[in-house]
Amino acid sequence: MEKKQYELCLEILRRFHQKNILNNFVLIGSWCIVFYKDYFASVPYINHTTLRTRDMDFLISKPDKIKQTIDIPTLLKDLGFVTTFRGPKGFIKLDHPDLIIEFLVPAKGRGSERLYSVPKLGLNAEVLRFLDFLSENTIKVKIEDFYLNLPHPANFALHKLIVFQRRDKEDKAIKDRNIAIEILKALISKEEENIIEGVFKSIPGKWQRKVIRGLEETEGKEILQILRKKD
Amino acid sequence: MRGVIKGVLKEELQNSLRMKKEYEQALKNLPQGCLAVRNIRGHKYYYLVRRIDKRVKYIYKGKISEEEKQKYKEAKELRAKYRNLLSRVKKQVRFLRSSLRGKEAV
Repeated sequence: MEKKQYELCLEILRRFHQKNILNNFVLIGSWCIVFYKDYFASVPYINHTTLRTRDMDFLISKPDKIKQTIDIPTLLKDLGFVTTFRGPKGFIKLDHPDLIIEFLVPAKGRGSERLYSVPKLGLNAEVLRFLDFLSENTIKVKIEDFYLNLPHPANFALHKLIVFQRRDKEDKAIKDRNIAIEILKALISKEEENIIEGVFKSIPGKWQRKVIRGLEETEGKEILQILRKKD
Repeated sequence: MRGVIKGVLKEELQNSLRMKKEYEQALKNLPQGCLAVRNIRGHKYYYLVRRIDKRVKYIYKGKISEEEKQKYKEAKELRAKYRNLLSRVKKQVRFLRSSLRGKEAV
């Protein structure tokens, strides 16, 4: 299952790259952890095979800037993906026994629409808060002959620390929090404390307080010290 | 940690159950039957072979367009794919249910 799942994931990325749409996306969610392995090649890093769900989330940071017209459900149909519409507004999910693909768009302020239609890609994306934070600082990782956009691990981890407190399900919240701590520890091992600090200082005070509150609930004392250095 | 794993498994079970329904629906939505071709005096005539109740019927279609041939070809490929994936989803459901059952009541 593991190998098949990874192969399927690569095939999706290959197809997006061939159709010139991969650059419009930032891969977020638990699949980032897999692709961060090269970034953290020199330091101890999470065993990324442990707790990963099938969700593969693509963030479309600038949906208005998409130029190509590619119907994504049709592009992936022959791989066996079936299209389903979720939620009261009907955002799209592409289901396969090995992967579940979703598309997300950052919310512009509180109370904005929950659904964003991207007709050029033949889909409806779900609108969520705090996603801008993931797309404003990204890294590129090389896969085969193309590059994949990922949020910088510092942004990814701090984002997880903000959102885990908003989770309804406790187990998901714990999972998010643990991943965030592990990634921040890996960044510290890589001597990138200054990046964590820089990213933390760039976010609004309210978000900073959420991050601190999230860390206080855990054993992230070392991380707290870094964030409180010049607080 | 145990609670986290259980939560993830529960979510995956819900996803697999949803997928099972989706694949069953997708199979229903595909055009029924397969095309069979008969070569009679140098001319090709097409029949739609499908099961009606318990019997296999050959329904005469005559000469059909390339578009229609393509439609049935695609449906045949997708049907095989969906059946295979549906069988995998069913295995996942069984596995997830047994994993969640464990030694305690779910």
